[in-house]
Amino acid sequence: MGTRWQGTRLVAAVALALGTGSAAAQSPQGVTVQTFQFKPTPIEVAAGSKVTFINQDDITHTVTSGTPESRDGKFSHQLVGKGATATVELTQRGVYPYFCERHRSMRGEIHVK
Amino acid sequence: MTHTFGKLVGAALVAAVLTLSAGPYFDPAQAQSGHAMTAMATSSTRAAGLRSGLNMLFQEHIYLAAAATGAALGGREAEFKAAAGALDANSIAISKAIGSVYGQGAEDAFLPLWRKHIGMVVDYTVGVASNDKTKQDKAVADLIGYTQDFGAFLQSANPNLPKSVVADLVKHHVVTLKAVIDAQASKDQAKTFATLRTAAGHMQMIADPLAEAIVKQFPDKFGG
Repeated sequence: MGTRWQGTRLVAAVALALGTGSAAAQSPQGVTVQTFQFKPTPIEVAAGSKVTFINQDDITHTVTSGTPESRDGKFSHQLVGKGATATVELTQRGVYPYFCERHRSMRGEIHVK
Repeated sequence: MTHTFGKLVGAALVAAVLTLSAGPYFDPAQAQSGHAMTAMATSSTRAAGLRSGLNMLFQEHIYLAAAATGAALGGREAEFKAAAGALDANSIAISKAIGSVYGQGAEDAFLPLWRKHIGMVVDYTVGVASNDKTKQDKAVADLIGYTQDFGAFLQSANPNLPKSVVADLVKHHVVTLKAVIDAQASKDQAKTFATLRTAAGHMQMIADPLAEAIVKQFPDKFGG
């Protein structure tokens, strides 16, 4: 009885783990801003996906599309302090470079398939 | 005449910095190898080696920065270029030290952040050379603002380093280096070297806590 109960719990745990993994694959992709870096980069998403940025640095960063030399105006969000988030939705296929306006060496790319 | 001289020094500074940013760098590890070996030979622990290494790099930063600003203010262009080149090699060595602990990504992020404050010091020096108070004030304001960025970077890398504490320490670095530049501009040699010793000595206030925080964060790597 005890063994059967433990077995049921094990099966349930495996199912939950698999289910969680499946849900994670469908959830919005995330980019962490930490130690003045966008991680991971580049990130690959399907067209129409949302990409959420979360700032883990205790300072304001921005997520601004384009490059410091050539802004394209597609999106620009401020991440004011630790824990701040911003989400961008990209419907068109292509490569979307982005950077931080305050720290221009911080750069990343989103590849929309 | 003073104004023309200031413009000349300013142009030389900008040109030299642009040239250096575009040019190849010599290998800082090679340049520092003699010092590193000395530190290794006299240190019995990796923690002590880390602390002495960081102290050496940060104090070198002060002496090379002062060599560059002194040459710039004195209109000695060749000397300035050489000093600025050595200063940048020191910047790369500091970023490699950061990278050796926190990885290539952190090293790549740290170097432009560190160089940014050197650019602001250049701006201040140009402001002093050209007697442009507005430029000086802007450079000081930028440097004070920069201390928050630097504090945030180190806090993010190492939670044992509170942002406000790091920012205050770096602010003192800015203030003590500014005193050196002001003394150089006034051609007061005694004051120049007295402020230089103060500025260099202060760097231990940054290097020691940084080393201690790294050891605390990675006891397996640096303990014992």
